[in-house]
Amino acid sequence: MNSGRMNNAYMNPVARIALIVAYAVLALAALGRSSYQISTKFADAPLAYSISAVSALLYAVIAFALWKGIRRLALAGSSIELAGVLIVGTLGYVESSWWPDETVWTGYGSAYGWVPLALPILALWALYRSKGSRTL
Amino acid sequence: MTAFLDAVYPGVLAASAVLFLAGAATMAAIRLHRALTWVVTGFYAVTVIEAITLIVILVNGGVPVVITVGYILAAVALLPLLGIARLGAPDADSDDPNRPILQTDQIARVDGAAAMIIAVAAAVVAWRIATILGAVS
Repeated sequence: MNSGRMNNAYMNPVARIALIVAYAVLALAALGRSSYQISTKFADAPLAYSISAVSALLYAVIAFALWKGIRRLALAGSSIELAGVLIVGTLGYVESSWWPDETVWTGYGSAYGWVPLALPILALWALYRSKGSRTL
Repeated sequence: MTAFLDAVYPGVLAASAVLFLAGAATMAAIRLHRALTWVVTGFYAVTVIEAITLIVILVNGGVPVVITVGYILAAVALLPLLGIARLGAPDADSDDPNRPILQTDQIARVDGAAAMIIAVAAAVVAWRIATILGAVS
C-alpha cells in the first residue's frame, strides 16, 4: 500500500490520542457512576442505570478502537454514542417520567459539560476525514 | 476531614489549574514540554497526598465507603493518562503496527492536550469528594 496515500488518509495522531484520552476519562467516569448506581440502588431506576453502564462500555470500546486503529469499530461506536445522547437527551425532556434518575446522557450530557454530546461529533468528524482507510 | 476540605482540596484545585495552564502553554509553545513534565511530577505528588488523606479519612470512618473509594480510585486512575504520548514515541516498546506514531512536536502537543483534559477531570473528582465530605461533616 502506498505510504503517502495512507498518511493522507490517517487521522491526525494528536487528535487521535487526545480523543483516546477524552474517551478513557469518560469511560472511567461512566464506569464509576454506573457501578455505584447499580450496586447500591439499581431498582430505583433500572433503565437509567443500565444506560449509564452501556455508555461506559461504549466509551471503553471507542477508546480501544481508536488506539488499535480499528476505524469501523470507532465509527460504529461513535455513531451509536451520538444517537444515544440525542435519543436519551430528548426523551429526558419528552418523557421525563421514564427517568427517575439521571444517566450520563441526560440533558445531552449537561452534567459532564456536554462533553458526551461534543465528543462523538468531534470523533465522527475526525474519522470522516480519515475515510478511505480501513485503519487510522 | 477538615484537613482535606481546608488544605488538600484547595491544593488539588490549584495543582489542576497549574496543570491545565502548563498543558495549554505546551500546546502553544512546545519548548515548554520540559516544564510540563515537572508540573506533571508535582501533580503526581499532590494526588498521592490527596489519596493518602482520603484513606486516613476512610479509616477513621463516618464517610460513605463505596463512593469515596470509587473517587480515590478515579483520582489515581487518571494519572497514567498524563504522558500518554510516550506510547506513541517512535522507539516505544510495542509490536502494534496500528498504534499512532508521533513526532517530537506531536508528543509535546499530545501531552499538553492530555494534561488539560486530566486537569479538568481531576478537579471534578476533587470537587465531588469535597461535596461528599462537606455533606457528612
